[in-house]
Amino acid sequence: MAAAFEYRQAEEIRDVFARHDIRYLFIGKSGAILLGFPDTTQDADLFLDKSQENCSALVVALRDLGFALTDDQASEILSGKDFVQLKNGPFDLDLVFAPDGIERFDDAWARRVEVEHFPVCHPDDIIASKVAANRAKDRESLPRLRAFRDYWKSQH
Amino acid sequence: MFHTLLRRSRFVERYNRAMDQSAPATVHQQWIEEFEAAARRPLAQRVKYAFIRTYKPVLDDAPFRAFETMADYRAWCEANLPEWLGFGR
Repeated sequence: MAAAFEYRQAEEIRDVFARHDIRYLFIGKSGAILLGFPDTTQDADLFLDKSQENCSALVVALRDLGFALTDDQASEILSGKDFVQLKNGPFDLDLVFAPDGIERFDDAWARRVEVEHFPVCHPDDIIASKVAANRAKDRESLPRLRAFRDYWKSQH
Repeated sequence: MFHTLLRRSRFVERYNRAMDQSAPATVHQQWIEEFEAAARRPLAQRVKYAFIRTYKPVLDDAPFRAFETMADYRAWCEANLPEWLGFGR
């Protein structure tokens, strides 16, 4: 089991992905935390542009970060899966290519928020994806997350 | 332990449903204070406090999973994960 995700690892994602020109956004609770939401989570969730070019660069970047991807696993990422869960690297990472509640990557990208050069989904998109996912854990977190969104908007 | 967590999860869900989107004023005020306190912390510190690691049965037992669609992923979660993890709908 990988250790807890650390800030330096978020920096590594940011720096390595920037080097490979990868289009991605932090989403989910990990995205909200980067925006300032005080809560806990277990892994980082990334929303990625599903283009072939982006996925090819992503495979190289993940290997640079220390993920032990086999060729078969790399092929799965390249083949355009909607969701990939990685637990074979220095930290756990969920790769989401078609999150519930968000129509297109480009829309979310246009609304993104930059936090110390971390690209993060807008809080409205984070909430939209949780509303659409509608899991028990999403329903549990939504009231406080909505309150945070309102607070965040009052500050920006 | 699993049943305790499940009961807690159900309690929190019922509580949040009862609150709908508008938390009682005292709870809401407490949240605002927490948001303000978090805003005063540097990002690195916020991340340090936020990311925790506990073993999640089944979910943590494979190094790699890929799903064709989000619907496939949701269905897999509902069929395979313990209810108390909260991945069910």
